[in-house]
Amino acid sequence: MKRLSWDLMMTRYPAFFALIFLVLAVVINFILQPNMLSQETLNNNLRVFLPIVLLTVGQAIVILGGGIDISVGATVSIVNTILATRVGLDGSPEKMWQFMAISLLAGALAGAINGFFIAYLRLQPIITTYATSFLYGGFALYILPNPGGGIPASVAEIYRSWTPLGIPLAFYVMGTILLLWWYLYSTRFGRFLYAVGGKAQAAYETAVPVTWVQFSTYVISGLMAALSGIAITMLSGSGNAEIGAAMTLTSVTAVVIGGTALSGGIGGVAGPLMGALTLGIIQNIISFAKIDTWWETLVKALIIVAALATPGFINLFRRRRG
Amino acid sequence: MAQSLSAYNITKRYGGVLALADGNLDVRAGEVVALIGANGSGKSTMSKVINGVVVLDGGRLLLDGGPVHFSSPQAAKNLGIATVFQELSLIPQMTVAENIWLTREPMQALGLVNRKAIQTRTEELLALFEGTFKTDLHPDTLVASLPADEKQIIEILKAVSSDPWLILLDEATASLDSRQVQRLFELVAKWKEQGKAVVFVSHRMEEIFRIADKYSVLRNGRTVGEGDIKDINENKLVKLMIDKDSVFAFARTASKSDDGKSYCLEIKDLKTEVLRGVSFNVREGELVGIGGLQGQGQRDLLLSLFGDVRFSGEVKLFGNGSRLKHPRDAMERGVALVPGDRAKEGLLYIRSILENLMLPSWKKYGLPLKISKAKNDSTQVGASLNLKMAGLQEPVSSLSGGNAQKVVIGKWLMRQPKLLLLDDPTKGVDVGTKAEFYALLNQLCDEGKTILFYSSDEEELIGLCDRVLVLHDGMIRTELSGKNLTKENLIAASLGIEGGAE
Amino acid sequence: MKNRFAISPPLAALILAVVLFLLSGLLPNGYGSDMEVARAQAINILRLSVFLGIIAAGQTLVIISGSEGIDLSSGSVVTLTAILTYVTVNGEDEKVLLALFISLGVGALVGLLNGAGITFLKISPFVMTLGMSGVVTGAIIIANHGNVSGKIAPIMTRLIARPLSPSIPIPNALIIWLIFGFLMWLLLERTAFGKNLFAIGVNRVTAKLSGVNVTGMNLAAYSLAGALAGFGGFLVVGNTGVVMIQLGQPFLFPSIAAVAVGGTLLSGGKGSYWGSMAGAIVLTLITSLLTTMQMPESVRRMVLGDTLLLMISFYGRQKALRQ
Repeated sequence: MKRLSWDLMMTRYPAFFALIFLVLAVVINFILQPNMLSQETLNNNLRVFLPIVLLTVGQAIVILGGGIDISVGATVSIVNTILATRVGLDGSPEKMWQFMAISLLAGALAGAINGFFIAYLRLQPIITTYATSFLYGGFALYILPNPGGGIPASVAEIYRSWTPLGIPLAFYVMGTILLLWWYLYSTRFGRFLYAVGGKAQAAYETAVPVTWVQFSTYVISGLMAALSGIAITMLSGSGNAEIGAAMTLTSVTAVVIGGTALSGGIGGVAGPLMGALTLGIIQNIISFAKIDTWWETLVKALIIVAALATPGFINLFRRRRG
Repeated sequence: MAQSLSAYNITKRYGGVLALADGNLDVRAGEVVALIGANGSGKSTMSKVINGVVVLDGGRLLLDGGPVHFSSPQAAKNLGIATVFQELSLIPQMTVAENIWLTREPMQALGLVNRKAIQTRTEELLALFEGTFKTDLHPDTLVASLPADEKQIIEILKAVSSDPWLILLDEATASLDSRQVQRLFELVAKWKEQGKAVVFVSHRMEEIFRIADKYSVLRNGRTVGEGDIKDINENKLVKLMIDKDSVFAFARTASKSDDGKSYCLEIKDLKTEVLRGVSFNVREGELVGIGGLQGQGQRDLLLSLFGDVRFSGEVKLFGNGSRLKHPRDAMERGVALVPGDRAKEGLLYIRSILENLMLPSWKKYGLPLKISKAKNDSTQVGASLNLKMAGLQEPVSSLSGGNAQKVVIGKWLMRQPKLLLLDDPTKGVDVGTKAEFYALLNQLCDEGKTILFYSSDEEELIGLCDRVLVLHDGMIRTELSGKNLTKENLIAASLGIEGGAE
Repeated sequence: MKNRFAISPPLAALILAVVLFLLSGLLPNGYGSDMEVARAQAINILRLSVFLGIIAAGQTLVIISGSEGIDLSSGSVVTLTAILTYVTVNGEDEKVLLALFISLGVGALVGLLNGAGITFLKISPFVMTLGMSGVVTGAIIIANHGNVSGKIAPIMTRLIARPLSPSIPIPNALIIWLIFGFLMWLLLERTAFGKNLFAIGVNRVTAKLSGVNVTGMNLAAYSLAGALAGFGGFLVVGNTGVVMIQLGQPFLFPSIAAVAVGGTLLSGGKGSYWGSMAGAIVLTLITSLLTTMQMPESVRRMVLGDTLLLMISFYGRQKALRQ
């Protein structure tokens, strides 16, 4: 029984380790940038982190259900290009709301297509969403072949400086997401999610509606990707069909360091959320560490590989000892 | 509450294989029906038709006299049919409570799950088996951390928690110890009083006669006998099952004197995660059996000797101390292993019969591989085993269970091994092939090969082995041979009862 | 899943290629009924397919090895080895062999790192090779930031880009590919390595219990795949003579699609390199058709994505939950 206590920790409280990573990252960042916790810097940081946080939450839910979604970055790009072209720099706020709603639909549709192929046709998640990432990415490029377009400055300003009660808007969004997740977790659907991710065949034999659960995780992921696309458009203020490309791997990495296993059924959403924040802070650390521009890509890639390798190293160490 | 479920002339195909040709079953409230059949008889398919996991191809299902069609396992559950599976339907990463109440969680307002109610009701269910648990079982215990017998109990509680009228126990007692079986049977008696019905799928005669009211026998996909248990006895049941008086129609050649033969295996204080210190010796040419209930370390023992499981302790193979780190090490010393689950461990299902037979031996066939020589050698081995196949290039998935097992054995025989380790080799093998196996094992021993094999079938151990080592709780409880090798002694030793043999 | 087709997947892919080629003739810019032009175009397509085909070889190996094997780093490895070749050779014929060894070595090293992460750290192949691809790209940027100077050697152009001789218009590259294809067949079907590769692709437990060194095979498969990608980079730069940061990336997705079109199961354990070769021809045809129709990059991507989706819908369905 003692042997299992580590497994118990990792299974029941995986967010614990994500919290440790986050605290560590914050401390290092604080050392390099003492004004980090000032309201303005905090606001800035959270604004920048929000897109990847939203994407990670959706990814975490898909992964909990036993799948994975490699097309999320491309969906972000689609939403960004839609907003940048259809609303434009001189669009009205009403048009912005209109197209935000359309973007959500687009995201849900993208997710539904994935869900159809994976849940109903029973294709492998990785290769399917890899294929759709090309499909969706191409579509984004079709909408906006060259970087350009934009959104009305007034809308971007809301995102930039709105701080109800002195706390940045992004913070409220993250808080709401966590509350929503907590609710979902406490419903039957939450149980179904973990069951399907843990052992789909056993869940099926227990009459869990496996197909429907898997399908809905992809729709959720698509919706979160759309939200992320809206956030990043508000952040950058312009359009670029490649904007989401690098975000996919980051979202998966955040889930991994958040303690939610890629195999499914273990972990939660809080951990990945902290993982996303951690990765964002690491990004800051790199900027402040004044690394040569040429080296930046390599350093970032190495950090991602290191983050992905960490659970593996921990397990390897355990296996050698045990 | 429903009163009866009847199945008439059920047929079911899996791909090209006809699992059921004419299955019949009649279950009434307040009764226990034993569904009996040898491996491959279709009894597992029959129970899957009744609980909706599998769609029937032909025949009729009637509930309380009216036709019924299960569109899914959920439909059957909704009609009050609960199943305790053989291959567990539990989610390892979830807790006991979460598993039991999955899809039927007590709810509170706003669509939220009622955690308190789940806790209380789980505790009530666990109390039904109180005193039979070896570990500290709470509603919050992770299923992954439970041993096989307790997982089975959770499976039973899960089925019972939905208050069904028909409970299907599919080989549910296989992993339970005697105390737990006793408690289960007490529950069954209570269920009968409550007007519930039970279908008891099992091959354990002793349990069948203890608990069943009626019987129904399947053979080769057809129902060949039904009736009241009080009107039949064990021998007649066995006859219905296999249509032969006894499988052991051959004579076990009296073992020639083994004294003076050198040792094939010398094992001292072998320890693994499950084994707690096993020591014994085996001489060349012996046919030694390992007995005991499932999960007592038999698998670990065989896998350690094959280099697949880490162990501490001393193992000498043919007089030489051996550090076996990988199956390759064992293979090169002349050891072979026929594993317990041929589909998952012994075969490459989508590859050809040729490739399966040759898998351990390709290195010996040159570069580039001499395929025609490989084909010749494989055909020879196949012939010596009486392997029925359409051709060497056919995928192994096209073979029946018995022939597939022959391929597993064949791939080792090609290497002329000196020590054969077998993990429950006749599981899921039809009776005719079983007889061929027994003859083969005898022949191999006569040729001087050593055999060490685990079987969950007491008859097999008694009929074949020179002596049997019974494992219990990770140690050798006793060694039975000669006159002491009886079924009673075997079972007593399996249960850990001391002094089973003199 | 029983194959619904009576014909083998590589043959089906080849037939598809022929159909596509005939269709291309009907287009406004197509060859119409001019046999000379048709032949020239066919040879050109085949020549172009060589590079995708060789890059798809490593992909074929890791996909056959199972456990969701895939190599997303091959694109960046191609670019890296192309640059290294370019710089090492610097126009001198004598340096070509050295450059080849460097390409194979560097590719193998990257592959080994992939294999190590996948085998020992249990990182899923997709994630590991994707991460590695970023690292290699980072290395490329560092190596490239001084604006690399280099040149390929004349012998490379002669051996790779030119035909066998003026009177025999078969491109050398095609001959190289055919020999390569034969060697791949030998590797997969006539060596213990190949048989073991299929074995671990089907069932790793059975393989181990039959004496196969699963760990070693896994490392070897990824290392070899990396080396083959390196070879691909060497050939690509030998053909075009120029290097760019995005040299290898356009080959990545099509290489996976090519393997899928060729009938190799993406779940592992079954397939052939002939199939990938046919798949490479199909994919090159699709790309070239789109170019002839003057479709933008965006359409190319969407079509490629759809092609892969179509292929896995045919060949990649997993077992249903209810039987």
